[in-house]
Amino acid sequence: MDTSAPSEDNDGLIREYHRQIAKKMLLLIISVAGIILTVGLLSVSTFDGISLSQAYKIIWGHINGVEYDYGTQSRLWWADRYIWNRALPRATVAILAGASLAACGTLMQSVLSNPLADPYSTGISSGACFGAVAAIIVGISFSSMAGEAGIVTNAFIGALIPAIILIVISERINVTPATMILIGTAISYFFNSMVTFMMVTTDADTLKSAYLWQIGTFDGLTWSSVPIMFVVTVLGSACVVWLSSKLNVASLGDNAAISLGLDIKNFRILCLILMSIMTAAVISFTGIIGFVGIVAPHIVRIVVGTDNRFVVPISMSVGALLLLVADYIALSYADLPVGVIMALIGSPIFFILIVWQRKSMGAIY
Amino acid sequence: MLILILTAVAISSVFITLGFGVYNISVSDALAVFIDHINGTVSNKKGDYYVWNVRLPRALGAILVGASLSFAGAVMQNDMRNPLAEPYTMGVSSGAFLGAVLSIILGISIIPGLTGDWATVFNAFIFSLIPASMIVLISRFRKMTPTAMILTGLALMFVFSSIGQVIMVSAPAETLADAYNWRVGTLAKVTWENLPIMVTAVVPLCLILYALSSKFDVMYLGDRAATTLGVNANLIRIFSIFLVSLMTAAMVSFTGTIGFIGLVGPHVARIFVGSRNKYFLPAAMAFGASFLIIVDTIAKISGPSGLPVGVLSAMIGGPLFIYILVRQKRSAWA
Repeated sequence: MDTSAPSEDNDGLIREYHRQIAKKMLLLIISVAGIILTVGLLSVSTFDGISLSQAYKIIWGHINGVEYDYGTQSRLWWADRYIWNRALPRATVAILAGASLAACGTLMQSVLSNPLADPYSTGISSGACFGAVAAIIVGISFSSMAGEAGIVTNAFIGALIPAIILIVISERINVTPATMILIGTAISYFFNSMVTFMMVTTDADTLKSAYLWQIGTFDGLTWSSVPIMFVVTVLGSACVVWLSSKLNVASLGDNAAISLGLDIKNFRILCLILMSIMTAAVISFTGIIGFVGIVAPHIVRIVVGTDNRFVVPISMSVGALLLLVADYIALSYADLPVGVIMALIGSPIFFILIVWQRKSMGAIY
Repeated sequence: MLILILTAVAISSVFITLGFGVYNISVSDALAVFIDHINGTVSNKKGDYYVWNVRLPRALGAILVGASLSFAGAVMQNDMRNPLAEPYTMGVSSGAFLGAVLSIILGISIIPGLTGDWATVFNAFIFSLIPASMIVLISRFRKMTPTAMILTGLALMFVFSSIGQVIMVSAPAETLADAYNWRVGTLAKVTWENLPIMVTAVVPLCLILYALSSKFDVMYLGDRAATTLGVNANLIRIFSIFLVSLMTAAMVSFTGTIGFIGLVGPHVARIFVGSRNKYFLPAAMAFGASFLIIVDTIAKISGPSGLPVGVLSAMIGGPLFIYILVRQKRSAWA
């Protein structure tokens, strides 16, 4: 009797533990399946009259190097063209951007221990905006490139300015997360004011195109913008996943982190550098896509709890899914920028999750 | 001491700012016109119009808006125990933005029969209170931590601003520019007509909130400590959030969303006078008022069309704030 009670208890604990793990895996699997499904739907919507299974077959075939004869299989040939060159670049960018921004959001929220932090807390977005708007409105380019490429390089360089300022400052003085966030906010206010200044002084049409860049869009993306984003995102996210157990320590607060042997100051700077490069590589192609970076990690935390080893990968897949679904809707039903659609669908979900969260779900707020 | 100095700066700035603007008149002449008007002996008709009817309300508006936004930010930062909290954290700005966009772009007025500017004002006011009311409502049947409130505010903010953006991207370029300019915010629309409304909204709310300042001190220690010391932290938080939103809504619906001061004003005050609310709240107010009026004066000097005051305050205040943050001896925030 005395000996059996603890073991029963243990069994219960182990079962509970397995249940928790299963739940996390389930969310991960659902979101990955959702991503695959949405890629198919996106492909279907770019080419009329093919079925979902045909779409997957064509994608799979293309990857395996299947060629269609234009003479005898002209429909398939066209479908292959459309899907490969129009649907897939968008889908890839959406997945990469969603995953990358969500990973960066998780990183920032843990490192700065602030639920309001997001990839743009350091002013990256406003710097990128400044670069891009300068290219659109004034026609100034930091590089010799003009047009689309000029906007991208401008945005990238602009994005890194606030990050560099913040890193230089935090190397020189001893900053707490709160001061770091405030410095980032001040920098972003400064650049935003420059952007607004340019925007209110320009004519209405240029203002419109600059405004649209600010909201973020996937229109006009081709395979040529994928490689840089792909390499940076994959390497960067691998780093974030690798750092995730240290992130758990960092989110306990500075004192606890130091007692547990983490050099929090250098760790924070490392995270900042990593995050800046990842975010800059994404937003310089797509414009400022908000929402996913701040909300995806919260959604995941409400469901699976705060352990970053799970939160990072799961919020990457949830972020990718969110952005992909938004892009699908943007492409096939509404002619609206993807950022707006995502906020439109995602924020009610987020709202409901917060209000109806339960302790049993792993809720923390 | 600092509060007194800042108040003096704010008041004297009111008189100095009378001398700046599109109509060319020196500061001393403007003062003469001002005194003439009070004595009822108007000699310079045109000068009198500009100084008394245009610049004085604008200057008083700057003081009022600066003081109340900064005060509101200070209360929010206390309530939420988050340095990123500001008057707009509960979604006041995006609610107001949606209301204004509805009226500017689609011509819809919530109060039937109103058109033009007043429709925009009422739309903005009513919509800006929706998010805060929802948060108050939710907290009636569910206990909310500050973080949950922040996140709820964030969610509502995204809901409203995304709807606003949907309307904006589908708008023609001209009205989009109007709506964009509304969002940037300006003090130029403050007149003798709407100034009294703003004053009556702000003054009582400020007094009520200031009366709570010792309770805020206790809440700053954390909810558990507050409960132990006999303060119902949750109730006071909800109550003060609602008052802050009301105050902010009254400002925003007339001026548009003037940013920066509500977030940064309290931080500067905190760095100089510390966190004790008895001094901190008035210091934040005095700093907000004097900062905004000085910036507005510079905005008027900068050109006939004038830079929006929110833009200029971020341009000047951003680097200044970073400097203050870097130079502070000990972090004012733990």
